[in-house]
Amino acid sequence: MKSTTSRTVSAASLALALGAAVAISAAPVMTAQAAENEKCFGVSLKGKNDCAAGAGTTCAGTAKTDYQGNAWKYVPTGTCTETASPTSPTGYGQLEAYKEKA
Amino acid sequence: MTLSLLADENSGAPALSSTLPLRAGIGLKSQHYRQILESQPQVGFFEVHAENYMVAGGPFHHYLQRIREHYPLSIHGVGLSIGAEHPLDEQHLDRLAALIERYQPQSFSEHLAWSSHGELFLNDLLPVAYNATTLTRVCEHIDRVQNRLQRPMLLENPSTYVEYASSTMDEASFISELIRRSGCGLLLDVNNVYVSCINHNWDALGYINALPLHAVGELHLAGFAEDRDSAGDRLLIDAHGAPVDDAVWRLYAQVLQLLGPTPTLIERDNDIPSLEVLVAEAQQAERQLALHRTPQRQALA
Amino acid sequence: MSDQHDFVAALLDPERDCPAELSSWNGADPSSRFAVYRNNVISSLVNALADSFPVVLQLVGDEFFRAMAQVHVHANPPRTRILAEYGEAFPAFIEGFPPASSLPYLADVARLEFLRIQAYHSADTAPLNAEQITTALSQPDRLDGMTLELHPSAAVLSSNFAIVSLWAAHQGEMAIAQVDPLRAEHALVLRNRLDVEVMGIRHGAALFIQALRTGQCFGEAAEQALAIDPEFDLSHLLAHLISTGALTGYRFAP
Repeated sequence: MKSTTSRTVSAASLALALGAAVAISAAPVMTAQAAENEKCFGVSLKGKNDCAAGAGTTCAGTAKTDYQGNAWKYVPTGTCTETASPTSPTGYGQLEAYKEKA
Repeated sequence: MTLSLLADENSGAPALSSTLPLRAGIGLKSQHYRQILESQPQVGFFEVHAENYMVAGGPFHHYLQRIREHYPLSIHGVGLSIGAEHPLDEQHLDRLAALIERYQPQSFSEHLAWSSHGELFLNDLLPVAYNATTLTRVCEHIDRVQNRLQRPMLLENPSTYVEYASSTMDEASFISELIRRSGCGLLLDVNNVYVSCINHNWDALGYINALPLHAVGELHLAGFAEDRDSAGDRLLIDAHGAPVDDAVWRLYAQVLQLLGPTPTLIERDNDIPSLEVLVAEAQQAERQLALHRTPQRQALA
Repeated sequence: MSDQHDFVAALLDPERDCPAELSSWNGADPSSRFAVYRNNVISSLVNALADSFPVVLQLVGDEFFRAMAQVHVHANPPRTRILAEYGEAFPAFIEGFPPASSLPYLADVARLEFLRIQAYHSADTAPLNAEQITTALSQPDRLDGMTLELHPSAAVLSSNFAIVSLWAAHQGEMAIAQVDPLRAEHALVLRNRLDVEVMGIRHGAALFIQALRTGQCFGEAAEQALAIDPEFDLSHLLAHLISTGALTGYRFAP
């Protein structure tokens, strides 16, 4: 099937784009940028499977979960409280404990 | 059955379940990858958890492959669930076989425990009741593993926090019988012996002496955490988050008296310290190993 | 029911009594010892989620995250033995979890974080080199119908929320107060050798990559992207894909 004729993007412009891409990516600026990226993205993950036991006899696992579909006592307290929120009068996230509307 | 399969066809002798050097090794942690390649620390081997490397590609394989070029390797499974009521997960066995094929480890070991139930994976090493029914089942599972992998495995004695009223055998007898029937080797976790003996008021040396010590292919050492049960008695948790306890070092010395030098792993899975701290702990084990290394044994090693 | 079935039911439901067949040498209540297993199952899985979703955790704080993750673990325990794969259902869970509804962007941030985990562990595939691309360029009349293969790690996430900025703000790259979370953003996730990169891309770039992913040809993908987003710079995106090793193969139409 030859659909090229109906394209608004010509074969020539595709070749131009790909040719320019090869030229840009070979330029030293790009390689320097890539090296820069490596430093700031070099977060190494941990292996998550292990054979150790954790917290002993007292921790979350034995507590009944607080969420029963209507009430929840925890309020987000992390960085989300610092995000701008256009809908709130203070400009910051207004967070309160979740309670299902009756 | 299993024994004949695993016997070396040329010599007729059973294949060794571990060919790790008679030295101390440490667990390989991703946060130490680069430093290990750069500094090449003096440790006898590295051990990895099989399931962490059951991923398609990326940094974990990149680094393990390079580290493997310089060190002997032990692959230690934590998800096969040999003690489960359900049959083994054949897909998981396939993945394990592929990993072993790729890295050619000197040892493969798994636990006397279960961690899955049907499709569910619980991510903990759960206790097995010790009776004739479970003995047959666990034995079948070990046979299946060894047949699929075409090599003998080491089975690790567990840390446990409860006992079953339905158990009719003690743990050491159960393990001895498993090893006799399946021809697998034993990974003697000295910390687990100590933890379980405190938790169930067993005699640690009595337990160790009741095991088939000729089958031991590797030792594990780790730190435990301490808690109390509802009666107020000590309940030790196999937390791998602290240095090896003095009591476990003493038990290790007694084990070496019985066994002679044996490959020994320092395990740490929580609160991972710097590489130097782990290497220093391995060197502490190496000093103990050296005390038991006669010139004749050195020649053999 | 079997022994292990009862054991598992009690592990996952703190309201249930521990299995009756358990005992202790000193007469201590077996449930005080069974608690070690309960805690380890739940806390180790909550920890696994905390490792996989560090930005979600920072956004809501440790206490909220752990409580939410615990509800998820009880409702959706792993069906994989490989914990790197656990958490795939967590974003959808967050989306349907009413107490998190005050943060409508949270689920998409979780989706972005899970794509990063998948990219990190994805298969290693060799990138196209300049010579191979030059070979393709030598047949310009076949470029339109050419299909392009992307590195297995490459993925695009289009969101109604500022997921890239929210993510970047937690890598120390911008201040969180400068982020308007309600602005739509498109993320490109890919592993460049050993490091997973997250980059904000234009709508057109997102459409182009998604079209390639679904097997559409070069010309078709470019046309679709430019129709929606005329300012989309095709050569710039291609340069990025080439320099990060994200282009791994091409095939001319027969």
